[in-house]
Amino acid sequence: MIRHLARRLSWAIVTLIAVYVITFFMVVMIPGKPFQQSDRNMPIEVERALRAQYSMDNNWLYFWEFLGGAVRLDFGPSFTYNDWTCTQIVAQALPISATIGILAILVAVLIGVPLGVISASRRNSWVDVSIVSGVLIGISLPTFVSGAALMALFAVAWPILPIGGWGTLWHLPLPVITLSLPFIAYICRLTRMAMLDALSSDYIRTAIAKGVEPRDVLWTHALKVAFLPVLSYVGPATAQAVTGSFVVEKVFGVPGMGQHFVNAALNADAGLIMSTVLVFSVLLISLNFAIDILYAWLDPRITMAY
Amino acid sequence: MTAFRPFTWVGSALAIVLVFVYFNSTHEPPADFRYVNSSGIHTLDPARMSWTQDFRVALNIWEGLTTSDPRTNQPQAGAAVFPPEVSPDKLTYTFEIRDDARWSNGDPVLAGDFIRGWRRGMEPGTGTDYTFLFTDNIVGANEYVQWRQQATGALTAMDRLRHGWGIDAQAAMSLSRHDIFEAIQSQLSSDVDVNDDREEGEALAGRLAAADIDWEVLYERVFDLHVADMKRRFAKVGLEAVDDKTLVVKLLRPCPYFLDLTSFPLFLPCHASVELLREGGAAGLTPEGLVVYDPQWTKPGRGKNGYPGLITNGPYSVSDWKFKRRLRMSANPFHRAFEMMASQTIDMLVYENISAALMAYEAGDVDFLPGMDVPYDHEIARLAKTGQRPDFHICKTFATYFMSFNCVDKRIEDRPNPFIDARVRRAFALAVDKNAIVNAVLQRGDHVAHTFVPPGALAGYHSPAGLQMDIAQAKNLLEKSGYPDGEGLPAVTLLYVPSDERVCQALAHMWETNLGAKVELRCQETKSFAQSKANHQFMIARGNWYGDYYDPTTFLGCFDTGNGNNDSGYSNKVYDALLDRARNTTNETQRLKLLADAERMIVEEDFPIIPLLHYASPIAIKPSVSGLFPNPRLWFPFQYVSVER
Repeated sequence: MIRHLARRLSWAIVTLIAVYVITFFMVVMIPGKPFQQSDRNMPIEVERALRAQYSMDNNWLYFWEFLGGAVRLDFGPSFTYNDWTCTQIVAQALPISATIGILAILVAVLIGVPLGVISASRRNSWVDVSIVSGVLIGISLPTFVSGAALMALFAVAWPILPIGGWGTLWHLPLPVITLSLPFIAYICRLTRMAMLDALSSDYIRTAIAKGVEPRDVLWTHALKVAFLPVLSYVGPATAQAVTGSFVVEKVFGVPGMGQHFVNAALNADAGLIMSTVLVFSVLLISLNFAIDILYAWLDPRITMAY
Repeated sequence: MTAFRPFTWVGSALAIVLVFVYFNSTHEPPADFRYVNSSGIHTLDPARMSWTQDFRVALNIWEGLTTSDPRTNQPQAGAAVFPPEVSPDKLTYTFEIRDDARWSNGDPVLAGDFIRGWRRGMEPGTGTDYTFLFTDNIVGANEYVQWRQQATGALTAMDRLRHGWGIDAQAAMSLSRHDIFEAIQSQLSSDVDVNDDREEGEALAGRLAAADIDWEVLYERVFDLHVADMKRRFAKVGLEAVDDKTLVVKLLRPCPYFLDLTSFPLFLPCHASVELLREGGAAGLTPEGLVVYDPQWTKPGRGKNGYPGLITNGPYSVSDWKFKRRLRMSANPFHRAFEMMASQTIDMLVYENISAALMAYEAGDVDFLPGMDVPYDHEIARLAKTGQRPDFHICKTFATYFMSFNCVDKRIEDRPNPFIDARVRRAFALAVDKNAIVNAVLQRGDHVAHTFVPPGALAGYHSPAGLQMDIAQAKNLLEKSGYPDGEGLPAVTLLYVPSDERVCQALAHMWETNLGAKVELRCQETKSFAQSKANHQFMIARGNWYGDYYDPTTFLGCFDTGNGNNDSGYSNKVYDALLDRARNTTNETQRLKLLADAERMIVEEDFPIIPLLHYASPIAIKPSVSGLFPNPRLWFPFQYVSVER
């Protein structure tokens, strides 16, 4: 077990370094002058001196300085938003995205898993058919459509929730539900398939034969196994949700991380691009790592394999 | 068997997060006046600002020697007694700073605070877009800035060399332009003949890196000399604090709009506490020779080195700033207007999505939208024009949207560039139906432009008429320049950014049908566009220009030979001479006439650009708001604003 974790950990570090190197080279190749504020052209000496001040005239130097800073969580200044360091920007935006993301995933599990279980237990009934078609809509409907529709319903037509912004509990429901819709759909589908698989296995037949309550068979015996694929999906999905959705944040005016991924690239803001990518990678890798441990705990067969 | 209760776990996690959010949410009362700035501001450093939304905040939290009238934008009293004393030759302005001018911590505003602020705008380390406003007008400013730029260029190169890192061609060229280069040259194996040539620069860079020179010693020598010289050099700039409250400014030549400039953000003062955040040790210079302040100086709240947080001298001060979320301004109790200000707190809210901002406005969450750049802006314009929405106003702005021609490069991407011939440019300009673009394509209520300077905005300036569409003459001109019916004309590339899509498709269609030209549309995202434009990789490119101060020169200066913003590369000795004569005349009528003659060359003869339209900018002001007036610069002083609730 320990050896397994150690190996995963070293792989995580190698992955992280690879992400940094690749991002760095892409950032260096981006066209554009990061220090130029507007359409006005800057005197060449001034631009050079500013580049030198941030070590950007020497890629090798910049590579090491940024890495050295990143290890200490100091990502240096944003070039577009001079008054802010990348660390400050991430520190303000990440908790907001994380709140929405975590809530969305929790809601998705809370709704998606039961839907999947019900749908699998009444296979081919009208309940199953309507859940499966609902899921299909949930997966195919882009969030900018569902978000706008929810906003039109609950903030304009029947104004019980604010249109957008951030600061109170009332700002949460619309973005959280919008963000959770595709996750609900996917989790529901995963659960349904895994449940169907589990329900046809021998140990369930044994349980039924032994006279276990059908409810317990479904929600305890079968679900415990069917939950595993959901769990392995929840890891990367959480990383994705936590680091923000550009669309959902834009629609609801949520000041989260998603906008920085897009805007930093558009602004050729080297420091901010690398900070956001690194933060995302660290989250993704560590969540996968955590899910690995959870998995081993839930399914003893995995530990046996090592 | 372990209890398997996923829903209990997930449910409790959900509850924990919600409780956490609840205790972290804001419980402060809403501000007295709330407005939306769709994408937030770039900076609060007045010396680094370039955008209207940033100016708007700066001019509410700082106060220049003069301020801008909320309706007309004409200069009016600010931190100094108005009007200041002006010498008969109009070259010396003596500003008397008011006794009641105070910083937000109670300190009196001093003449030296203005010099500190203005100096930042000249220092190369600040990265100012507008340094030319000083160098064009103030005695000795240009010499100081040039000297500083040259020295920092050389110090940057030598700093790199002393660490054993290579330098590139441009760095080598900067070093070669500095006085120290004579001493270096004698150390190089053979004389290098240096002129502005890239290959030679690279060769020089290689030789400098290989030369047997003790760069450390040389760098120290140049650095120390430079530090010792800085004070003496800056003393030659025509800025003098005669005493704590008297600032004397000496101008190079009469500048009829100087009091307008002094209300511009670059001319704002800077509180002494910022020196606590100066970087670069005892000398106060970075190794590159730059004067740099920790960018955190614009933040409210205590900082490192005992910095008290941002101190400003305007009607408001910043009490909270959350990145891309909210900026709260609170009335400055030390400002003389404090007692009269109806709105004590102002919130600038950020909505990345303007449609959401508009909905928030409709719902009454915000009181004012200073911009409505939505995909359905034609509908907004219609509602405003027909009077269906009296709270929607259209501001005629001091700005022009145009297409510029590449007038210099003979070949572009292995294709001959027909636009080096002024007759072809003129033909293309004559073949554009601007009315169709404004009224049929965009429908935003913009004003058709036949001139570069928006007509009617400047008293006493008589704009030239410009040219109306004339297809017959356009065809004739094209034939004369050797392309009858567009035959032999190489495919023309039109470079633009995504927001120009519809206009550029219309233009391409007009040129194809009216002139028989073949037009290749090339859309690039903003940063790549800027790069292509800077590298002159275009035949025709979109452009726009916002006037910075109320004088034709803010527009016409763009076509001065060698001007940094002369994207078309247009160069005409007659034009340059007209601008030069205008600069040196003391007779105002004569000056404006010369400038109108210069503009006539642009819009009736040489056509480095085709002016298309002057922007009309829609704004929305709730009927409950008073004291907020549409104005061409879209600067809005909030100290006069009151909201009935």
